[in-house]
Amino acid sequence: MRTLPISDADIHAYVDGRLPAASAAGVDEALANDAALAARVAEMRTQNAALRDAFDLVLDEPIPEHLLAAAVPPPSGRSIGVRPLGHRRALPFAFGVAATLVVGFLVGWLVRDALIERAGTPTTFARQAAFAHALYAADANRPVEIWANEEKRLVGWLTKRLGFQVHAPDLGSVGYLLVGGRLVAGNEKPTALFMYENADKERLSLQVRKQASDSGETAFRYAHENGVGVFYWVDDACGYALSGNVDRSQLLKIAHVVYGQLVAADAAGAK
Amino acid sequence: MPTPPGSDAPGLPQPDLVAAIPRLRRYARVLTGEASRADDLVQDTLARGWEKRRMWRSGSDLRAWLFTIMHNVYVNQLATVKRDAANVSIDADPANPAWQLPVRANQIDRVELLELMQQVGRLSPDQREVLLLAAVEELRYEEIAGILSIPVGTVMSRLSRARNNLRQLVAEPGPGLRIVK
Repeated sequence: MRTLPISDADIHAYVDGRLPAASAAGVDEALANDAALAARVAEMRTQNAALRDAFDLVLDEPIPEHLLAAAVPPPSGRSIGVRPLGHRRALPFAFGVAATLVVGFLVGWLVRDALIERAGTPTTFARQAAFAHALYAADANRPVEIWANEEKRLVGWLTKRLGFQVHAPDLGSVGYLLVGGRLVAGNEKPTALFMYENADKERLSLQVRKQASDSGETAFRYAHENGVGVFYWVDDACGYALSGNVDRSQLLKIAHVVYGQLVAADAAGAK
Repeated sequence: MPTPPGSDAPGLPQPDLVAAIPRLRRYARVLTGEASRADDLVQDTLARGWEKRRMWRSGSDLRAWLFTIMHNVYVNQLATVKRDAANVSIDADPANPAWQLPVRANQIDRVELLELMQQVGRLSPDQREVLLLAAVEELRYEEIAGILSIPVGTVMSRLSRARNNLRQLVAEPGPGLRIVK
């Protein structure tokens, strides 16, 4: 068994995960026999990870308004030279309609990651939600006051305490089961907390409260507090916060499920 | 669905464009090392994208296309800045920005990271771009070659030189150290 000489290009491709499996096996073998090379590869990988880690933070920053505006087609007549003359008069109107549609589309596009990333500084609600999640999810024995085997009683109790109908969404489709729930003190109004857990014992919490009267609806927003990711949104004067230590895309996926079920439950309740 | 040539249809898919902004901002930050300059670069890139929207082939990779535009805008700006700066100061090298690190609360390894950033900031723009497209953007070497309009072999050699230089800088950090290109 002998190894072919490993080229410098192979090493870099290996570090960046761009080497075909067959060649990567050769590098694996070379690394096993060459401690200095192994150390060098480890160092490059660490640097890659450090750079990614540092700059990934930019992805979480809110997108400045002027950049969102720059993503909308410019209402400029510069590029209309090829148009027949008769269409020119219609253009400003067409651009107006297009711009309105686009803006409306952007605002209404609740689920786009990009808009979620406009989130900005976490609100008090998101922060409170993150703290409550960190506090109770870490509690192995008593994360909730009422366990899921008494779900009806739990929902009834929280509905009574919050003063409006609450629902505990079924997150089985994304691998999370209801653990139970509890009441959490909020700034003004009490907050209901539903705790979920997956097969790996990772926990999520969904918190619900009545919003202050003047708050309108908001799109999904994302905040990251002390290692806890929170998606929060306001719908029909209720604030919702889904918190967990899972990565953002996973959390967003679950937030969609939650949102869909709450909308469905509301529609069913309104009949 | 291809846009008919010469059509005045907006041409660029807005949702994809908006969705690309965070990645553009990240790469711009990587390039310029500074938040406000980075966002200016993103804005210029988007504006240029709209100007060149007929060049966009529907269905191809919008992000790679925007990265290519950003690279060109950046290179042009760099050339302008260098020309303007040439008469002013020999110390102010726009290619070596003082990098501002995105801030993470309770970032324990901040000092080490800051050092790494400074070292990356000392690389030549050519090497820095290749390194960061590979390391941060995790693009394939062929994609990087396309964005920078250089052969894949050049991507490889720049990447190799970037990492070797970085290694030397890490081994012997110092404010006065410069990489000889």
